[in-house]
Amino acid sequence: MLGGLIAGKVRFIVVGGLAAAAHGSSRVTNDLDICYDALDGGNLVALAKLLARWKAYPRGVETGLPFIMDDRTLRGAPILTLTSAEGDIDVMDRIAGVGPYADVRKHSEKVTALGVSFRVLDLPSLIKAKRAAGRPRDFEHLPELEALLALSKRKSAT
Amino acid sequence: MTARQFAVASAADIKWIMNSAALLRRRLRYNDSEARWWGFVRLLTEAIGLPLKTAAVAAASLVRITQSSMPVTVSADPSHSASIVVDLARYESIFLGNLSRARVHETPKRKGRPPRLAAGQQALSSAYRYGVDLGLIQSALARTPAQRLAMLEANSLFLREMRRKAK
Repeated sequence: MLGGLIAGKVRFIVVGGLAAAAHGSSRVTNDLDICYDALDGGNLVALAKLLARWKAYPRGVETGLPFIMDDRTLRGAPILTLTSAEGDIDVMDRIAGVGPYADVRKHSEKVTALGVSFRVLDLPSLIKAKRAAGRPRDFEHLPELEALLALSKRKSAT
Repeated sequence: MTARQFAVASAADIKWIMNSAALLRRRLRYNDSEARWWGFVRLLTEAIGLPLKTAAVAAASLVRITQSSMPVTVSADPSHSASIVVDLARYESIFLGNLSRARVHETPKRKGRPPRLAAGQQALSSAYRYGVDLGLIQSALARTPAQRLAMLEANSLFLREMRRKAK
């Protein structure tokens, strides 16, 4: 999916479980969470085209209902939780506790992995986002992320 | 469905829904069909500027149409010089997206005051008490992000294969 997003010239930042794993979290995640640049109309079209090609459909709702995946739907529903031929993907125009794409980008770092280069939300902002989301599953992840931050700070200090 | 999930599904502010329900004397029931109806009402009042009661009547006629690939005329003058047309297929796509977000993403928040932000030694001791394997974290930190993500991919593939075989 990451390769597809990059090849499709989508401007995005990886957030959520994959970003946590890039920072050292041992939790296994199967979905990809991204924050996309919603102010750039071209980016919306590129992302929507890619999602349509992947046959993206909202997760957790009755299947088989008509669903138009294009930039207009993305404008109407800027946060989408989707399942697709490539796997589950959550697309968001903003991240709770961090802000819209521009703020998320400011708090991101470049990672080269799985054969591609992309940006991931940094660890302090990931912790902020988890706290702001406030769901039990986010709070369950906090002790590990806070320990990761403490240990990585200690490691960089030595 | 919680009030917050209901508001997300109908793409409306929960306070606006509550106030409008009081004005319309409509009992609030947090379910999918009501969210769809409130979504129409919000669209017609906030985006188009119809009065609340007119929007409620129009929304009632719209929810009766189960599927339509053609735009539906909600209101028009006798000569059809001016009309309000709703693209139902578009509305349904956005509603499905919002409903999915409400169910998957906006699950109920944790009750009570959030735990304090832990840092430094305190973060390590509270993580240890919580049952986090600090040795595992230290070994993860010794790897590069590329190695960590390659490991995640391998673990994820393994779990997927286990699930597939269990079926």
